[in-house]
Amino acid sequence: MEGLRVLFVDDEDDFRETIVKRLNARKIQAMGAESGVRALEIVKDNDFDVIVLDVKMPGMDGIETLRHIKQMKPEIEVIMLTGHASVEFGLKGMQLGAFDYVMKPAPLNELLDTINQAWSKKRGLH
Amino acid sequence: MRVWDTSHLLDTVPAGKQAAEHVHDYTDSEANRKRIRHHFRQLQTRLVLGLLLGFLLPNALLTAYFHFQFTHTLKNSALLNLEAVAENQKNTIDLYLQERVVNLFNLFHSREFSLQPNQESMDSYLQSLKRFNDGFIDVGFFNARGIQIGYAGPHPQLRGRDYSDQPWFKELRAGSRNYLISDLYTGLRNIPHFTIAVRQVFDGTPYSMRATLDPDKLYVFLRAISHGKEVETTLVNARGQYQVVDPARSPFPASSSYVPPGSPAAGVEEIELDERATLVAYTWLKETPWALLVMQPASVAQSGMYRTRLVLTISLAAISLLVSLVIFLTIRKVVADARRMAEKGQQLQEMLAHASKLASIGELAAGVAHEINNPLAIIMATSGVIRDMLNPEFDLDHSPEAICKELSTIDTAATRAKGITKRLQEMGKARMPVSVQCDLNALTAEVLERLQRVEFKGKHLEVVTRFAADLPQILAEPEPLRQVVGNILVNAADAIADKGTITVSTAMQDGMVSLTIADTGRGIPAGDLQRIFNPFFTTKGGGRGTGLGLSIAASIVKYLGGTIKVNSIPGAGSSFTVLLPVK
Repeated sequence: MEGLRVLFVDDEDDFRETIVKRLNARKIQAMGAESGVRALEIVKDNDFDVIVLDVKMPGMDGIETLRHIKQMKPEIEVIMLTGHASVEFGLKGMQLGAFDYVMKPAPLNELLDTINQAWSKKRGLH
Repeated sequence: MRVWDTSHLLDTVPAGKQAAEHVHDYTDSEANRKRIRHHFRQLQTRLVLGLLLGFLLPNALLTAYFHFQFTHTLKNSALLNLEAVAENQKNTIDLYLQERVVNLFNLFHSREFSLQPNQESMDSYLQSLKRFNDGFIDVGFFNARGIQIGYAGPHPQLRGRDYSDQPWFKELRAGSRNYLISDLYTGLRNIPHFTIAVRQVFDGTPYSMRATLDPDKLYVFLRAISHGKEVETTLVNARGQYQVVDPARSPFPASSSYVPPGSPAAGVEEIELDERATLVAYTWLKETPWALLVMQPASVAQSGMYRTRLVLTISLAAISLLVSLVIFLTIRKVVADARRMAEKGQQLQEMLAHASKLASIGELAAGVAHEINNPLAIIMATSGVIRDMLNPEFDLDHSPEAICKELSTIDTAATRAKGITKRLQEMGKARMPVSVQCDLNALTAEVLERLQRVEFKGKHLEVVTRFAADLPQILAEPEPLRQVVGNILVNAADAIADKGTITVSTAMQDGMVSLTIADTGRGIPAGDLQRIFNPFFTTKGGGRGTGLGLSIAASIVKYLGGTIKVNSIPGAGSSFTVLLPVK
């Protein structure tokens, strides 16, 4: 997965930093953002292949952030990160153009699989 | 500025309370149904009473009025009718008597008349009279001295008899009129009869002609001209003695129990006769001082009226009953329909309340899941990192220090999860009541002191207290109340970024004890104001807030019978006022 650029957006510092660390360990160029607003700032100045977006964040939530990302850079694939009881936000995200959703807490492999599929789609490898 | 009241948070309760809440609701809805039934029973009673008062009562009064008017009018008309009959018959009788008098006068002018009539003449007189009327019995001719000088009839022994002492003769001679009709008397022949006598003067000498009339024949005539059911027609003189009456009923001499008054000339009244209400009309004859009496039992005279009245009354009663029945049934149906609608509405409301409660539970469950999942995700991710560290393939720092650092991240996440479950348990326990008299001032001061010692450290907070001196004690559980005060104070401190003031004041407000905690922090956006009491709603990022503080505070305050009000101006600060009843 070399060359894959991922932005991981979650307000949980420990979670976000750990996941970014694990993605980086797998040769993925991963960055973290602690809020929707911060994510938009980063996306404006950087290019990403896949963005993983937590739906439940204080301030601007994941759905709102998704909307802005899709307006700004529609080519980026977005994966929504949802809780068990908020699957409907994942589905809503897919209606708004997200590639897929992953339910928290998910094993890293599942997340990696989904990220990989999203990347393949972006590269037109289907 | 927005003001938000927690009284809408009826159903924001922890899941553990559901069974008890449900039983409570059931009793409530049963009470509601009872209330609705009671209300509609009252409504129906009121409507039916309205029907009785508004329709039946006036109807009954009107019916009674018409009943009396009708009876009065018809009784009058029965009397008038009888009076008219009497008047009519009187004229016929007067005419009859006049004719008899004329019959007698005509004898003076007949061809056979002579002042010394022989038997043949007298017989022809009688024949001529009988031709006019078969009531004539005999005829006699009298000279000035009252000697019957000519006679024809069934009592020839009367011929030559002296009548000068007979009342009728004396009256005729003395009277101003030249004829008379006597009362019924027996006279010389000792048989009841009437005398009709006329007087005529020839060459200065008065002569009299008289004929007798058979009372039975007169009665037959009377019977012939009278009509009507059970109508009795009689003739009486001024003393009430019967002149013409049913011979079977009253043999001569007999008197009527009713004596008509001398004036007016005619009248009608209702009297008791043989213990029976009887209508009697009288009218005085012109030709003779007799009165014609026409009597009819009142019940017979008025029977037609009574029948009509009965039919009318029954019809009116039947119509009233029918209309009432229709109205009553309509009222019952309409009320029953309305009650069903109201009950259905009530049911819907209960279902809605239940549904919104379920929705709350759903929200709560979703919140719990999310909040627990976050630390779980951290734990999983971090344990994954450790696994990555131990995997040489990833070439990560796997020194004991690095691994320890990851393990403490796991510890922190686990502690956080435990904190959430602990707070949920507290929320469940919040309603375990051990109420004591609490001094809100002292309690608030105590909480404030503890917070200032630990949580508020490192911030430039100015805390101003304005405690009301004569605040009454309240009945409450101190620990949950401390939690309420603490949660709001912590929020106030969190709202202040670095430097600011928190003002804590107590007062009496509308008969309740109030505690107001105001801060000069960032304030609450209008859009969030509605949600701040929802479980797990938080604006504190980075896992610092559980979103349960205000939710717990609201349910405790609600349990204590109070409310929480919020004023907030974004950018200027917020003020939370807890109102608690004095018990």
